Amino acid sequence: METLNDSPITTEAEHERSPQEAALRIWLKVLITTRWTAIPVVIIASLVATRVFNIAFPTAPVYYICVFIALYNLALLLQARRIEARGAGSLVRTIRFYGSIHIVLDLVTLTVLLHFTGGIENPFIFYFVLHIIGASIALSRKEVYLLASTALFMVSLLVGLEYAGVLPHVNLVGFAPPLLYQQVSHILAVLVVLATALYISTYMATSVAMELRRRQQEVIELRERLLHERTGQLEKASIEIAKLEEEKQRFLHFLGIAAHDLKAPLTAIQGFLWIMLGGYSGELSDKQKNMLERSSRRITELLNLISDLLDIPRIETGQTMQDIKEISLREVVRRSLDDLRNTAKEKGIKLKVEIPQNLPRIQGSSPRLQQVITNLVSNAISYTPEGTVTIRITEKAKELQVEVIDTGIGIPPDELPQVFDDFFRASNVEARGTGLGLSISRRIVEAHGGRIWVESPYPENNRGSKFTCTLPKKNKGKKK
Amino acid sequence: MEQKKILVVDDDPDILDAVTWILESRGYQVVTARDGLEGLANLKSENPDLVILDLLMPKMDGFALFKELQNPSWSKYQDIPVLILSSVREEASRRRYELETGHELAVDDYVEKPMDPNVLLERVEKLIAKKTR
Repeated sequence: METLNDSPITTEAEHERSPQEAALRIWLKVLITTRWTAIPVVIIASLVATRVFNIAFPTAPVYYICVFIALYNLALLLQARRIEARGAGSLVRTIRFYGSIHIVLDLVTLTVLLHFTGGIENPFIFYFVLHIIGASIALSRKEVYLLASTALFMVSLLVGLEYAGVLPHVNLVGFAPPLLYQQVSHILAVLVVLATALYISTYMATSVAMELRRRQQEVIELRERLLHERTGQLEKASIEIAKLEEEKQRFLHFLGIAAHDLKAPLTAIQGFLWIMLGGYSGELSDKQKNMLERSSRRITELLNLISDLLDIPRIETGQTMQDIKEISLREVVRRSLDDLRNTAKEKGIKLKVEIPQNLPRIQGSSPRLQQVITNLVSNAISYTPEGTVTIRITEKAKELQVEVIDTGIGIPPDELPQVFDDFFRASNVEARGTGLGLSISRRIVEAHGGRIWVESPYPENNRGSKFTCTLPKKNKGKKK
Repeated sequence: MEQKKILVVDDDPDILDAVTWILESRGYQVVTARDGLEGLANLKSENPDLVILDLLMPKMDGFALFKELQNPSWSKYQDIPVLILSSVREEASRRRYELETGHELAVDDYVEKPMDPNVLLERVEKLIAKKTR
């Protein structure tokens, strides 16, 4: 709510067409239309009075006045259109100003018309009430009371001046007795009735109009407030997002430095170990060589663990999916196998590759998918004492399916659901890995919008296991 | 055959020593620098046959040094091959350089740390042979 206080509602400035403004425009139109209707009514009434009821009075001034009304109504119409054309900006004041011109012109014309049509004798004298109701639509209660008083004053003045003989009186011959305008009781009765009718209708009409205007204002305020609140929420949300993004960047930066600083000493140690093992620093005894080899292996383990640990947040923050492009899965598999061929050969494992010709290219991160394939194939080689590891790619309707099948020891059935969990190591192997390889592979495949699962023993062989992952053909890369 | 000179730029003194020992075992003359600025100075004064460059270093890092070398004012040294020796993964480095400069990291070779001495020597030999030819 505090937002409401420091920004008062300025509907006129903020909206092209506020409800208040729209109502005022309609008001002007109603006044103009009413006037067009009034002209024939006056003419017909005069004609009927003179021709049908044989009431005699000079009709020429009435027609002149009708022409005058028509002229100023035309002028007001053109003027209203000009306001309409102005379009933007606040027109509330302008319309109210011109509206009061309408009202004053009508008031004067109506009084003059009354003068030429019998003054106090004319029952149309009560039409001033309509005038007041019309004004209530748009003007404030005070203004309408002022207007009612003015109308009453002008009628009283007219009647008074005719009574006193200052103005000539037009008698509606055949309708009213010629001296009715001199009859004080009649004059007073008509004026009292007119006065009460004017004030009561002012009260009623402005009450209704005010209530309507109040509700209109409430609607505007409510709309403003909702708009304000929504804008506020949006702003807050976008600030939150920016903050999160900033935190993410800071975190990744931290990880980058942490990775480098953790690896640097290990890298240096590994460098020296390899120099010694390579015989660059003199001959080593078998025992020394053995110990250095073990040390080097442990260092490699540690380096791999660091890489794996740092990979997880990188994948989860969507960083690895930044280098997504059109890639050939065949090429990815070829590069993976280039690195693994020697290992397979050393163990006497046969590598079989089944990739169809004209395999479609997909959207993906080449190094990351290579990481997945390398992980799956090297696991397969590690856990297969003898036999074959098959890498098969098949094209499905919406995805490519990669299968890595081995004839190895398989995975105990009760451990199958945990295979893709962090730090999982199967109980039937002497673990050397970090236990993160498959969980990282899962993250990478999922980041590509694919799935990964395992079957063991592989039904076709009745032994070993089959890892399957799918990669959508059309993929924009799911950014987390 | 004249002795080939190799400039090794790395902020880690142990890596500098390790690389130096590996290279010296094959009779290369080794000049070292501890950061990019020193590296550029030595490049000018020593005019080596090959530069082995680490990427993450204080003062001026390997990315900045390599970018500086692309400047026409260094045209005299542009045919000296550059081998990156870094613990940063190759594709990550390439992406970062591209993001920062808008250019491809057009180095002659890239070896990830820790480096196998045999692999390093093999790559170095190849680059030097290419340059001499």
